[in-house]
Amino acid sequence: MEISLAPEIIFHIGSFPVTNSLLMTLVLSAIIILASLSLRNKLKLVPKGFQNIFEYVVEAFLDLIDSVTQNREQTRKFFPIVMTIFLFVILSNWIELVPGLGTIGINEEHHGKMILVPFIRSASADLNVTLAIALISVFTAQFMGIAAIGAARYAGKFFVNPLRRPYFIGTFVGILELISEVAKIISFSFRLFGNIFAGEVLLIVMLNLVPYFVPLPFLFLELFVGFVQALVFAMLTLVFLKMAVTAHDH
Amino acid sequence: MESSEQRINFLFAGPRPLDVVKINYKKMELLHNLGIDGRLLLAQLINFIILLAVLYKFAYGPVLKMLEERTKKIEKGLKDAEESQKKLAEISEKEAAVLVEARKNAQQIIKKSEESAVKNAEDIVALAKEQSDRLLEQAQRQIEQEKAKIMAEVKAEIAGLVVAATGKIIGEKLDAEKDRELINRSIR
Repeated sequence: MEISLAPEIIFHIGSFPVTNSLLMTLVLSAIIILASLSLRNKLKLVPKGFQNIFEYVVEAFLDLIDSVTQNREQTRKFFPIVMTIFLFVILSNWIELVPGLGTIGINEEHHGKMILVPFIRSASADLNVTLAIALISVFTAQFMGIAAIGAARYAGKFFVNPLRRPYFIGTFVGILELISEVAKIISFSFRLFGNIFAGEVLLIVMLNLVPYFVPLPFLFLELFVGFVQALVFAMLTLVFLKMAVTAHDH
Repeated sequence: MESSEQRINFLFAGPRPLDVVKINYKKMELLHNLGIDGRLLLAQLINFIILLAVLYKFAYGPVLKMLEERTKKIEKGLKDAEESQKKLAEISEKEAAVLVEARKNAQQIIKKSEESAVKNAEDIVALAKEQSDRLLEQAQRQIEQEKAKIMAEVKAEIAGLVVAATGKIIGEKLDAEKDRELINRSIR
């Protein structure tokens, strides 16, 4: 049994490697887009079925964001990115629960050994995906910060004149802040990747050790972990956004 | 080379652990070992941005608008209901007032008509009495006149009769002048 940190390449288009997680991301995106298109066409003032569920989630998120921002206008600004991150991350986390994980694939020969290249792999168990969302989250925070309080004041958070109070401490703290922005990208991406990758490994190992019943509790555990990680990602993004648009008060 | 660097043999790490976890401190090598590929990263970035845009345009926008619209509608409905309730109370109050007024008016009208009826009755009785009095008087006067006339006629007749009787009794007729004088004296 081979488990790879990197997503497995299924085939190449030209020199572009198509990995199983990329495939999963595309399928997931297609499903989300189709669902949103059908939602838009069936949108009614008196909600029914799927619209009800979606509206419930939307309202819950609006309230959650409201409780952080304390400001309806900011909530409207933050809502799309936070909601999309949550939806995308939770669904890509849950891919690992789809039956066929680690079992359906192509047998390929690598260095004289036969290796199963599985089709199904959680998009979140691919650092490219988690890093991409982390980059979007952190850069959105920078843009919103600049848009909200102006480029000069926003830069003032990181670059502090050492000749003014509180002198070098301020400068040092500013540099720390700058480093923490970079650290956010790493912590975002590796937290999600680590959790989901570990969950996937756990599920595959359990499935191979005892195929019946024993993996069930782990499936429920992964259902929960997937939800929590998505919520954590979305909430941290929200908090960083709020911090970015809040000016330092000296 | 590519796959042996990329893969970590998890459970059966056995034969060449050093090969697998050989951490190359060159940066590109580290990223490669973690499976980070610039082209894939870019693809994922673009994918997420497209997803965000589509959701924003087709899901969030319309749904948020719908939610707002519904909130407004419900608020309006509640306000309308409250208003109509107030109006209803007002109307029923007005109705009660109107009823009281109408009852009062009706009573007044009844009272007035009763009064006028009584007065009319008195008038009619008075008129009737007057008329009957007048009729009675007229009748009496007529009777009186009749009586006088009859008296006169009777007197004339009686005088004739007396003359005739007297002439028969006396056997001879006095001359006319003496005769009348005599009669008149005897009658009186």
